[in-house]
Amino acid sequence: MPDFKLKEAKTLEYDRPAIEKGYTDQTLYVNISDSEITIKPVDAKTKETFIGGKGYDLWLLWNAVQPKTKWNDPENEICIAAGPLGGTPTYPGSGKSIVTTLSPTTATVIDSNVGGYFGPYIKFSGFDALEIQGKTAKDAVIFIDGIDQKIKIFETTGLPNNAYQLSAILTEHFAAGKPRSISVVSAGPGAKNTLIGCLNFTWYDVKRKRARYKQAGRGGIGTVFADKGIKALVVRWDTVTADTNNPADKAALKNVAKLHSREIVELDPKQNEMARIGTTHLVTIMNDHDLLPTHNFRYGQHREASNIGQQVYRRLFDPGFDGCWMGCTVACSHGVKDFVPLTGPYKGKKVFVDGPEYETVAGCGSNLGIFDPHTVVEINFYCDAYGLDTISVGTAIAFAMECFELGLITETHTGALSLNFGNRLSALELVHQMAKGEGFGQIVGQGVRKMKEIFAKDFGADPKIMRDIGMEAKGLEFSEYMTKESLAQQGGYGLALKGPQHDEAWLIFLDMVHNFMPTFEQKAEALHWFPMFRTWFGLCGLCKLPWNDIIPEDNKDTPEPAKVMKHVQWYADYFSAVTGRKATPDDLIEMSEKVYNFQRIFNLRMGFGRREQDAIPYRAVGPVTEDEYVSREERYDNQLAQIHKVDINGKSTAEKIAILRNFREQQYEKLKDAVYKRRGWTSDGIPSLDTVKRLGIDFEEVLDLLNAHGVSS
Amino acid sequence: MITVSGSNFPWREGMTVADLLKEIDDSQPCAVVRINDTYVSQMNFENTVIPDDSEVFLIPMIAGG
Ligand code: SF4
Repeated sequence: MPDFKLKEAKTLEYDRPAIEKGYTDQTLYVNISDSEITIKPVDAKTKETFIGGKGYDLWLLWNAVQPKTKWNDPENEICIAAGPLGGTPTYPGSGKSIVTTLSPTTATVIDSNVGGYFGPYIKFSGFDALEIQGKTAKDAVIFIDGIDQKIKIFETTGLPNNAYQLSAILTEHFAAGKPRSISVVSAGPGAKNTLIGCLNFTWYDVKRKRARYKQAGRGGIGTVFADKGIKALVVRWDTVTADTNNPADKAALKNVAKLHSREIVELDPKQNEMARIGTTHLVTIMNDHDLLPTHNFRYGQHREASNIGQQVYRRLFDPGFDGCWMGCTVACSHGVKDFVPLTGPYKGKKVFVDGPEYETVAGCGSNLGIFDPHTVVEINFYCDAYGLDTISVGTAIAFAMECFELGLITETHTGALSLNFGNRLSALELVHQMAKGEGFGQIVGQGVRKMKEIFAKDFGADPKIMRDIGMEAKGLEFSEYMTKESLAQQGGYGLALKGPQHDEAWLIFLDMVHNFMPTFEQKAEALHWFPMFRTWFGLCGLCKLPWNDIIPEDNKDTPEPAKVMKHVQWYADYFSAVTGRKATPDDLIEMSEKVYNFQRIFNLRMGFGRREQDAIPYRAVGPVTEDEYVSREERYDNQLAQIHKVDINGKSTAEKIAILRNFREQQYEKLKDAVYKRRGWTSDGIPSLDTVKRLGIDFEEVLDLLNAHGVSS
Repeated sequence: MITVSGSNFPWREGMTVADLLKEIDDSQPCAVVRINDTYVSQMNFENTVIPDDSEVFLIPMIAGG
């Protein structure tokens, strides 16, 4: 164990309030510039409007930053909250933390929903949310001790940089013999030296006797954390029972929790076996449907996809309970035991790897043309240890690889690295370089948007083709689904508030495979309801997987099977039982609408949040290159001839690409119109005055902002 | 004999996934099934033969993501 020191810089003793129906009604503010620690009450209006979780985070952040605040300014904050239902150990998926900050890659609000024990433990320690502001040069550790009712800021020396070692050491140090009482949040050297850093949140695996990890990955939250000089956050809490959250109606909670929990235990083995193989089943299914991104989203299929599919991970995953929150019967957070990396600082040593999930397999595997599970697991491991987001890492390297294959960049620029698709050692080398902030990896670690600028300005690469193939929108790298044949999913990515992450709406199968939403209006309705309902999980501190990854057997016979309304009703009952605030399924949507529209307005305040920012690269919409067109020529030719009534005889591939592009881009614009209308937004994508009034978010600052953007009636 | 989502179902030589789906009383769209540990997508239903003693599951693919 390294020789490290923790020097106490500040301590605040406090009286922990009793939890009342899922709430503590206070938040914790820490400014690490001057070691200020303050406890703030939450007023009734804030509670009513923002509910908790992401809603609280956004309100705290809104009040902390200014329109000109940059991600690395001291006033930027990292906010972490659990939500009123968070910390319930009987209801599956109830342990999520929601993290927000201003992102280094999007320059506006980013949010991430992450497992691990941190959020619930913070709440049980007395705080509905934690906001951290300021910057320090002294490697701070913030310790929230809910048992002894003390908050401490330490200045540290000698602690290791990588999250893997750091979390293990801090868990042991603060646990006082009870490691399950600790959760650690940390980033890593990759977070410090790139813009795509993630945060690792731990949960303690009692059976395997080790700290396990989940990641708040997207948008460089870890980079903000590292830039602030925070080494780690540590929280300590005691035993958790069904009563710890002090629900309003214990009997009702017990009843609904049992229904959902039991259903999962009964049906998961008959459906996707998430308790055994996590989300890896998606790999071959996506591949079969031409939806698995390969070679920087050029294609959706590869003959070697099954090499990185569930049958492989079924063997690799260490069997056992893998719930990232207590009592989650989905228990999908699997890991690989005794993995031996072939490169880097852990070369030849046995490590435990948390993951991979589908996104990592697709992003760091197929999208790089890598179909070797060992390499995927190794990239997964190092990304976690270095504090790097596997999705952004995958999509960024894929872009660099395509630029290399197109001759837009050469070995002169890559430091002699050959970046052809499928080059496993080069991909790993880039990850190690990102951690050190060296070489070409330092450039890739800036993310796709910055790479496009650098390649054009410094390397003379053609910006036009890079605009089409650089898979980012709003500055965030795409997550790992092909959208060319699903207009609804193009909207699911392009119209998402924070950028192209699938956690707002995942509509590919409903749209493309089941054809549930053939009209623009039906797509718009889906792009209203699904993002709203998914937002609700973030308000309450929940994981969305139990909602629709395990489906009731009679779901198909219900009027709206896509929404899994039986579960939506259970969630409404769950909310009512904990908070005592009677809620219907429609109420849940309205709760989300307030926060969702507020986040859109927050974007507007930061200089974004309009129609032009909802643009997506053409690679997400249709074939950019002749190779792509020719590879699915029959499909595209048929669409041109039969849907668009184009006489394709005698037309060259380039001409057909141009005509198809015109049609598809028009469709995407029409989709925007329909969605904006459904969401109650102007044609420029700004929430209308009526909408903000209806939702009760017509605060003076909001009205002024809308007015400044010409929205006054 | 095979099982389909936990219930017994008679097996016959050469039975494909497409045959099975036609025979069971279920008009809902099904894009993916799992036969033991193997997932089979709709484009392969016609040419995937179900072995005897298999456990077959109809996968409700509205989730994911
Ligand atoms: S479903 Fe999986 S990710 Fe969600 S809380 Fe449970 S174990 Fe964690």
